[in-house]
Amino acid sequence: MRLTQGTFSFLPELSDEQIRAQVEYCLTRGWALSIEVTDDPHPRNTYWEMYGEPMFDLHDAAGVLMELTSARATFFDHYIRLNAFDSTQGWETVRLSFIVNRPAEEPGFELIRQEVEGRHLRYTLRSYATSRPEGERYP
Amino acid sequence: MVYEALRGGLDFTKDDENINSQPFMHWRDRFLSCMEAVNRASAATGEVKGHYLNVTAGTMEDIYERAEFARDLGSVVIMIDLVIGYTAIQSISKWARRNDMVLHLHRAGASTYTRQKSHGISFRVIAKWMRLAGVDHIHAGTVVGKLEGDPDMIAGFYDILREPINPLDLRHGIYFEQDWASMRKVMPVASGGIHAGQMHQLLTYLGDDVILQFGGGTIGRPMGIQAGATANRVALEAMVLARNEGRDIWNEGPDILAAAARDCSPLRAALDTWGEITFDYTSTDTPDYVPTSTPS
Repeated sequence: MRLTQGTFSFLPELSDEQIRAQVEYCLTRGWALSIEVTDDPHPRNTYWEMYGEPMFDLHDAAGVLMELTSARATFFDHYIRLNAFDSTQGWETVRLSFIVNRPAEEPGFELIRQEVEGRHLRYTLRSYATSRPEGERYP
Repeated sequence: MVYEALRGGLDFTKDDENINSQPFMHWRDRFLSCMEAVNRASAATGEVKGHYLNVTAGTMEDIYERAEFARDLGSVVIMIDLVIGYTAIQSISKWARRNDMVLHLHRAGASTYTRQKSHGISFRVIAKWMRLAGVDHIHAGTVVGKLEGDPDMIAGFYDILREPINPLDLRHGIYFEQDWASMRKVMPVASGGIHAGQMHQLLTYLGDDVILQFGGGTIGRPMGIQAGATANRVALEAMVLARNEGRDIWNEGPDILAAAARDCSPLRAALDTWGEITFDYTSTDTPDYVPTSTPS
């Protein structure tokens, strides 16, 4: 399966040049970029591991790309996403988030149905990968 | 249908405003079936998905019963129709807050009092009331679809739903300044007669903070519902990508879509089917003021 969280996940993988253009778009709007990494892609796993600090003071796309290159070298078999955080409006939110690295094999999710009272079902999603310990999930 | 559309790339699907509980589709059966579809689609994509379950009913007790059933099934969102009335809307809005539920409002019935200039009220007023009532989504026009609207009027509705402060803006139909302080915002919904071929116009007119709902634009096409959903998602992502890269999407939109369709046969089929179909008629809801240039 293909994990389709975030923007651009239905497009062919973005080249570094395309990623740079998105980063520049974010920086010109005053949004702070951050890189996050996970091997637990459950849709309710909102907070991935930070790769370094959010780059609040970085205003050069090249710096973000350099961080991304180093993240990919370490976590080549993990999901990596770029987030753009907007605090310029008096409220704070992520304005753009997209996956920039994914494991070669994405085993997907099991849908577990628990039959309860009446015709009710309780649904649970379980990532096939997370039955293995953290760090060994995408061999 | 819900599964196919969510699997294909939509985040949410919705009940029609006319679907409440009819002999051919009792509400309990519908809720059970839809939640199966939502969860299967979530497992297939790794995304949180949802289906707006319409809890509109004849009494407040019935509305609560349906809303509670939706909550117990794990739904993240319910919907109501405007016709349930303002008190009922505020009650279910408070219920939605207590139960961590997104509340979608379909504006069914609005045109009976917004359509004529000589009688009734503007949709702008309803938008303002509904923001105060605490709904999360409201249908607010598309400019280019079948829920027609003058671009300036639609911009006024969107301003009232989304902005922290509305300055006086006669062109958008806003006659006095309104400071919303920390009042919650409402996500406007563009729905009705829109399709992938209009993506550059939708993004230009409506911006990022909007829910684009493609009903006929997803279902009414040759390769099936899942392909229709994929076409819409790919068209939107391609257009956002191009806009962020600094391209002039208003003029280059059709070229951007054609290029994206080279990698995506569902989008190619959608563009072939819908092409440049548009609902082209003059809006009845027009501004009372238009800017004119004055000699200076």
